Amino acid sequence: MKNTSKILKRILALILIVSLLPVTSLLTACNSSSGSGSGLSFFFTIKDTDDDFRLSLKESVESMAKAQGASVTTTLCGSSVDQQVIDIKAAAESGKYDAIICVPVDSATALQLEIAAGDLPVIFMNNKPDEDVLKANKYVYVASDEYQAGRLQAEYMYEKLGKPSSINAIILMGERNHSGTIGRTEAVKQYFKEKNVTLNIVFCDYASWSDTEAANLMEIFFKTNQDLDVIFANNDTMALGAITALKAHGLSTSDVPVAGVDATADGCKSIANGELSFTVYQNAEGQSKKAVEVAIALANGNSTKSIEGADDNNFCFYVDFEAVSKTNVSSYQ
Amino acid sequence: MSKATKTKRVIKVRDKFLVFIMPAIIIFIILIIVMAGILSEKMIQNLSEDALESSLNNQADNITSWLEKNLENFSSVKQTIEATNPDDEELQEILDSFYGYNSYAKDGIYIGTSTGKLYKASESTKISENVTSEKWYKDGLTRVNLNYGQTYTDYKGDSIISASGIINLNRDELMVLAADLSLDQISIIVNSGVKMDNAYSFLIDTNDNTILAHPDTSLVSTNINSSSDKLLSGVAKKIDNQDYNKEEINNYLVSLTQIDGTDWVLVSYIKKDIVMSSIHVLIRRLAIIAVFAILLTSVVIIVIVNYLIKPISKISDGVTAMADGDFTISINSSSNDEIGIMSDKVEDFIVRMRDMLKNVALESDKLQDQSRTSDVVAKSMYEASEKQAKAMQNLNSTVDELAKAVNEIAINAQTLTEVVSDTRSNSAKANESMQESVEISKQGKTDMEKLSFAMTQIQKSIEELLLSINKVGDASEQITGIVGLIGEIAEETNLLSLNASIEAARAGEAGKGFAVVAGEIGKLAQNSADNAQNIAKLIEQIRNLISEVVTQANTSAENIQSNTVLIDTAVETFDKIYENIATSNNLVTDMINGVTKVDDVATNVAAISEEQAASADEILETSKQMVEQAENITRHSEDVAANSEELADTSEKLTSYVSKFKLESDDEE
Repeated sequence: MKNTSKILKRILALILIVSLLPVTSLLTACNSSSGSGSGLSFFFTIKDTDDDFRLSLKESVESMAKAQGASVTTTLCGSSVDQQVIDIKAAAESGKYDAIICVPVDSATALQLEIAAGDLPVIFMNNKPDEDVLKANKYVYVASDEYQAGRLQAEYMYEKLGKPSSINAIILMGERNHSGTIGRTEAVKQYFKEKNVTLNIVFCDYASWSDTEAANLMEIFFKTNQDLDVIFANNDTMALGAITALKAHGLSTSDVPVAGVDATADGCKSIANGELSFTVYQNAEGQSKKAVEVAIALANGNSTKSIEGADDNNFCFYVDFEAVSKTNVSSYQ
Repeated sequence: MSKATKTKRVIKVRDKFLVFIMPAIIIFIILIIVMAGILSEKMIQNLSEDALESSLNNQADNITSWLEKNLENFSSVKQTIEATNPDDEELQEILDSFYGYNSYAKDGIYIGTSTGKLYKASESTKISENVTSEKWYKDGLTRVNLNYGQTYTDYKGDSIISASGIINLNRDELMVLAADLSLDQISIIVNSGVKMDNAYSFLIDTNDNTILAHPDTSLVSTNINSSSDKLLSGVAKKIDNQDYNKEEINNYLVSLTQIDGTDWVLVSYIKKDIVMSSIHVLIRRLAIIAVFAILLTSVVIIVIVNYLIKPISKISDGVTAMADGDFTISINSSSNDEIGIMSDKVEDFIVRMRDMLKNVALESDKLQDQSRTSDVVAKSMYEASEKQAKAMQNLNSTVDELAKAVNEIAINAQTLTEVVSDTRSNSAKANESMQESVEISKQGKTDMEKLSFAMTQIQKSIEELLLSINKVGDASEQITGIVGLIGEIAEETNLLSLNASIEAARAGEAGKGFAVVAGEIGKLAQNSADNAQNIAKLIEQIRNLISEVVTQANTSAENIQSNTVLIDTAVETFDKIYENIATSNNLVTDMINGVTKVDDVATNVAAISEEQAASADEILETSKQMVEQAENITRHSEDVAANSEELADTSEKLTSYVSKFKLESDDEE
């Protein structure tokens, strides 16, 4: 019974969406007929810009939209899930916006955010919602494929360590249940599994993107006196924290190479200084550009099928991660 | 024709309906069943997949939340211990107090140290001979935040998972806090949490692809990689490929999902046949309904067609009878549709045809009689008209002769008329000449009389002229006397003027003016005396001239006198001519009158004889026409005779045809 009512609800939702589609397309068609962004207005919501990557996202979303002739209103909602819902609801009710670009504070709230957005399309960024709540041409996700980042890290380290049959590794994870955390961590494990390399995870814990947290965890790890070959961090900040801890413990990064993600300024500097071995450039500009492109298409009622990087369902649009090491770090600084 | 219709195979309308409509209906029904089957199969497959998926997600959520709940529970204990930083005694108290706090963790929360010590609740049965080699301990060393490790078999032989992590208590030794969870609870969720009938679930640890929970407990802890079961090996393949999309494996609908926070994959499956069994039931039922529908349709068609074509077969019988010449039949229909109208109209038609044929029979009998009679009449008429033609021909020749005779008379009369006519015109011309002579002689006489009268007038005029001239002589005598008087007066005046001029001279200067006037008067008197003498001379000349005129006038008078006598003689002669001419004129007139009378008579004769000739012609023409007509009549009466014979034949034939129709029912005959 529960299942049938769920199915019925889905069918009802589908009918509603199908019946609403022409309305929304009509509404959006008033603003612009083609894929042009001129005259469109987007609402951008993000937790804060304290992080280099988030700051870069905010700035590039604004500049990319401007380049397309669209305007963007940015609101910082802090760490409050509720505030983000309130902000989106207010934006949708104002009737001023054609689409909402959202970096969710918690990807688990995606459905609530979609409801708050009313008829407006929502382009999620950076923090991936469950695919169940995504819908082609309506609720989509623009980011880089987190698995790709993890794979690039694992690939680099596998080569660097000389393709060993067994590796003792630390994985420093970001926030629990964050898509970046899950994807990047999974990908590292998956990669070595595929290569038939025994991955001894000597330590694996959530450092919540924080360098101090990472350093603390490292301190505790050292107490376990386990062998260590390599450190995978879900982001550069934690990687740098780990390096600090390594150095404090009298180890150098030549002994234990460290890989991060994001290619932040500090990360790149560290690579240039020969400390951090590897990072993955998450192209904030590329993601913003893609997000704005998708937003313009959805606001104009156009299909996103032809947009590059779309997955099979047209749920997600991926911007490639780029591997950064000492050889090419200068171009990311 | 009749042979052909007999050889034609008669197929009933009802059978035709069945033959044509039933296959179509059967095909449609089969199509509908097939379509319904295909569509509902798809629909049911989709619905089943969705149901399976939602059941799976529901289970996965339950497992996750159960795991999370326990993990939080253990974490809070860990945080409590870390916060209090207890010594061994205090730690024991805390562990004791939390024992039984979580019913799933039968052994409670325990702590192993790097020195091989195990802290556990007093009541706990947990045994660990070598703490540092325990799986939970090794797993726990890899993290600070509690998390689950892989499954393993504990000292009791139960499959368990341990949540473990480093607990930081500011001691030299490393301490790992752990708690065990039996997989039984997860098995319960996996095996009984399925929200779909006939669907099953199993849980796999992807680290080594071992089964953690399965409805078939004998499979638990076995590795699916080496499984001979196609479903399990298929799932293993998918897990290796990290493909967690739903798929059909070995006739099973299979859904997979990862359990968050673990390396587990939950798999739900249902046999496709079971899902589709409802479709098969549906199709079977549809087929049964279809068979019934087809049978029912056939029966309905037979009944309806029978009902509908019943009147038609009546009509058909009637028409067949009519084709055989039987018009005694009757078609009655109570139906009010087109067929009813048709049978009514056929009934009408039969009645009318019957009446008409009866009439035809009657009429043909009559006709036969009449044709016989007319044959006889025609023959007698033929004879009569032949006789008439001959008589007419005789009459014709007689009239012909008459016409010729009358024509001769006419020609003679014509000739006479022409002669008389000429004579009349000649005498008329004579009369005209005569008339002209009379006129001319009359004219001559009047002219003469006028001349005579003119002469007389002239004579009188001359006489009057003489008298006038004589008067002129008297007047000139008187003028001479007057002139003499004037001469005398002039003389005296002259004298007076002389006297006056003398007197004036005497008066001197004063009479000078008067002397001039007196001189002038003297001159005037002189002139007057001269003129009077001139006038006297002129008058003398006039008198001489008049004497001459008188002499000549007298001579003319004498001449005229003699002319008048001659004229009178001529007048008399004219009178005589006139009288003679008038006499001859009368004679001519008389003659003309006579001739006119002869002319009229001759003309009349000619006209009459012409009329007679014309009449004779007309008679001739008429008699010719009569002859022709008599001949025509003869011919026609021959035709009539022939026709009436034919007619007789025809009416006999007609009678025989009509007699073929059955117009009276046997009872009436």
